[in-house]
Amino acid sequence: MSETPLQPFAPPAGLPFTLPTTASPQTVVTILFAMVMVYWTIYTVVAVYHWLHCSHRSAIAIPAIGTHLLISFVLASYALSGLL
Amino acid sequence: MKEFELESGEFVVLHTRKHWFLFVVGLVPFLILALLPIVLPLVILLTPPLAALAPTIDYTQPLMRATLGLWLLLVWTAAWGSFTRYYLNAWVLTSQRIVEIKQRRYFHREVSSLMLNRVQDVTTEVAGVIPSLLGMGSIKVQSAGAENEFHMRGIPEPELVRNLILKYIPEEPQTPGV
Repeated sequence: MSETPLQPFAPPAGLPFTLPTTASPQTVVTILFAMVMVYWTIYTVVAVYHWLHCSHRSAIAIPAIGTHLLISFVLASYALSGLL
Repeated sequence: MKEFELESGEFVVLHTRKHWFLFVVGLVPFLILALLPIVLPLVILLTPPLAALAPTIDYTQPLMRATLGLWLLLVWTAAWGSFTRYYLNAWVLTSQRIVEIKQRRYFHREVSSLMLNRVQDVTTEVAGVIPSLLGMGSIKVQSAGAENEFHMRGIPEPELVRNLILKYIPEEPQTPGV
């Protein structure tokens, strides 16, 4: 049995795509923004559902939801202003 | 009301929840988290090995602004969730029963009732300086058989609530003596 020396690993050259080796800070923050907005949407829908179904028809429900949406809109716009 | 239906002739006497002070105390961690991006550069400046990093935290830069906005959005959402849970926990005293509504977390809700005609003992407790100053305390309501005990913690004006509970406990019919 012939012995061949080990060769250093080299990725195959014929891959149809290239893996990114570095991500720019802009890309990272954009992905973070998308993730936070998905989380925020799910959380808000769940909380609004509870406000509307479990708050005993409280007069505070609609103002509380409105305040949350307004402040969230301001903060999301502020964050978005750094990405555009 | 969705959690319970009032019987005929039954009416709501009091609808209460935890004292506002407990809610405000619960907001303190969120306040600290919200202030963290402002305090962090100052702390870094005061720490000599890290002082060189201080200029990188500049919120006039677009990406730092985006990061700050995302951070504040997360903190705000969590704080609003805290308010939601605070508000959805409640105690309702009706003319016939006490209803405890516990929103432990989202999609986990417990509603329990204690009929006033089964109440045997009502104990209030106000312990500590701040609770005494703010009129905040707890009430323990024990029922016959001790199968159902209500313990309301951190409610405002516990003596007033106790008096209301005692007021609406139906009097037992007088049994004629032998």
